[in-house]
Amino acid sequence: MNVDGRRLGGASWSELAVGVLGSAGVVALVTAAIAALKAHVPILSLGALYVFAELPIAFVWGIALAVPAPVACVLAFNWFFLPPTHTFTLSDSENWLALVVYVVVAVVTSELAVRVRRRATLAEQREREATLLAAVATSLLRGEALAEELDRISAQVAEVLRVPHARIDLAGSEADDQLTTRPLAVGSRAVGTIATASDGDLDTSVETRFLPALASLLAVAVDREQLQREALEAETLRRSDAVKTAVLRAVSHDLRSPLTAIRAAASGLANPSLMLGADDRSDLVETIGVESARLDRLVGDLLDLSRLQAGAAEPRRALWTVEELVGLARDETPDERIAVELPDTLPPVNVDAGQVRRVLANVLENAVRVSPPGATVRVTGEARGSDVIIRIVDQGPGLDAAELERVFEPFQRGSASSGYRGTGLGLAVARGFAEANGGRLWAEHPAGGAVIALALPAGAGEDA
Amino acid sequence: MSPPARILVVDDEPQILRALQTNLRGAGYEVFTADTAKAALAEAAARQPDAVILDLVLPDGSGTDVCRELRTWSSAPVIVLSAVGDEGEKVAALDAGADDYVTKPFGIDELLARLRASLRRAEPTGEPLITIGDLTVDLEKRSVTVGGERVQLTPHEFALLAMLARNPGKLLTHSAILREVWGPQYGRESHYLHVYVSQLRRKIEPDPTRPRYLITEPGAGYRLVVP
Repeated sequence: MNVDGRRLGGASWSELAVGVLGSAGVVALVTAAIAALKAHVPILSLGALYVFAELPIAFVWGIALAVPAPVACVLAFNWFFLPPTHTFTLSDSENWLALVVYVVVAVVTSELAVRVRRRATLAEQREREATLLAAVATSLLRGEALAEELDRISAQVAEVLRVPHARIDLAGSEADDQLTTRPLAVGSRAVGTIATASDGDLDTSVETRFLPALASLLAVAVDREQLQREALEAETLRRSDAVKTAVLRAVSHDLRSPLTAIRAAASGLANPSLMLGADDRSDLVETIGVESARLDRLVGDLLDLSRLQAGAAEPRRALWTVEELVGLARDETPDERIAVELPDTLPPVNVDAGQVRRVLANVLENAVRVSPPGATVRVTGEARGSDVIIRIVDQGPGLDAAELERVFEPFQRGSASSGYRGTGLGLAVARGFAEANGGRLWAEHPAGGAVIALALPAGAGEDA
Repeated sequence: MSPPARILVVDDEPQILRALQTNLRGAGYEVFTADTAKAALAEAAARQPDAVILDLVLPDGSGTDVCRELRTWSSAPVIVLSAVGDEGEKVAALDAGADDYVTKPFGIDELLARLRASLRRAEPTGEPLITIGDLTVDLEKRSVTVGGERVQLTPHEFALLAMLARNPGKLLTHSAILREVWGPQYGRESHYLHVYVSQLRRKIEPDPTRPRYLITEPGAGYRLVVP
């Protein structure tokens, strides 16, 4: 098989038919030209004009017609011009020699023309391959995502290889039986496969020259992506370590404060040399009680948070009125300073009552804690779209813009001046439960005080 | 009977404040409280306390800053409340003029002991002869005896021991000792100090590997105690 044989020599039947008809046309044209000129020029010299038919036929349709065409020319010359005309016999034996010489020259010329054509085609093909490889190299090394680039590269490869469809798969992906699959490998390393929708073989030159180059480029791109991924993973690990350290520090601080109060109070009670009155003793006992409860809540929050982060807090949803949920939360945070102002028209919400109770209790506890003595914490509600929005409005020092999101992060504290310092885990847990129930929890900052808003999905018509 | 000592307690945790206040009152002190750095300085100025118990982490600043500010106009002993993980801050507070520290969570007995020692040190003595257990340091004659036996010390060793002896029981930080004994430019050369402390222990301690007088406070400094 020649270098570009399938398309130049082994043409399909339709291509061959076009070639035959075209060649016949060209031969007829030259024959007509000779007929027009024969009155002025010796007829044997005019035979050379058939070369003008030969060259284009050989160049355009290639070797398949390079031998039949001269023969056709000789037959036409003999029939129309050499005496006796309109027969294939020759009266003059000299003419035999002329015809033989002519056929040999024509065949050699045709072959030369075919070679020139072949070289030109090959050069053109190589240039297309080189251009494609350069383009692929540029796009892959620019750092674009390999997976996204593969489709585009595949389409370009199909165009260059002149096949209707091509698909490149990286090592490890599934093969498609419909297509002819070839390995893309660098040395012994399999980079992937290229599948082409093609009825025959690709040229061996494509397999030995183009595909290895493409494989090398893909290998470099795969390696680069791998390195990037590893660098990213290392960075992520380092960051999560930093976060863990910060959380551990915060946890140890938050655990130690109640422990300090408990230990100071208990060791005071145990010390006989201190002169403590009955009131003092009950004060110390109360401190131990309050701080033990705080420790218990903190440990509970830690557990809830780890459950939420592990996605293990599956809500058991049912229809509840907001009034009832707020009531449940108030049982947990009994404080006369909480004023509930809910309209009667609120639709029920579709949530896990236990979890939403925690959300509201944590937010209320926080609001009560930051409010100055005697100030009221208001609970309001409104229906908006498919949500019910509950707002807890406190009269504390408020939050500045930078703190609006930060108060929901575990162990992030508000600024020194705002009472949200020491929030610990309460709001982080609250947001986790709100989101697990298809709701949202966010902070707003109106003039004076802070507002924590909770949106819950209304449950109309969705009896779960 | 002398009037009760006045103690200012500074902490932002209300329950800690409450427990300390109750216990200190029970121990016979007059107690004032503050829950911010700003309030601490205002209370200290208004009440003129005999000692201050100061949390290192306050909502509006660090205890170290309060200590530094306080030292510009008050010599009342300051005991800082620190937590594990606050070592750097604790040493900074000691360098800023704090006298001692206790680590949270602490028993009230430990805090009371530190407080008594600090208050005792704060009383002026003027005595040139300091006796600590079997150890006597004569600051005037620059002589040291252990169990009646005279001990020869180099000038630096004596300066180091004299500084510790003038502050019995008090924690002295590395940099404070280095600055006083070797001079201001030596504040960071703590390896000098470790070497001199070892030499001094060989001369005054019955068993230098298990010191009874010259105690190491890891990461902070040294103190000279009654064994």
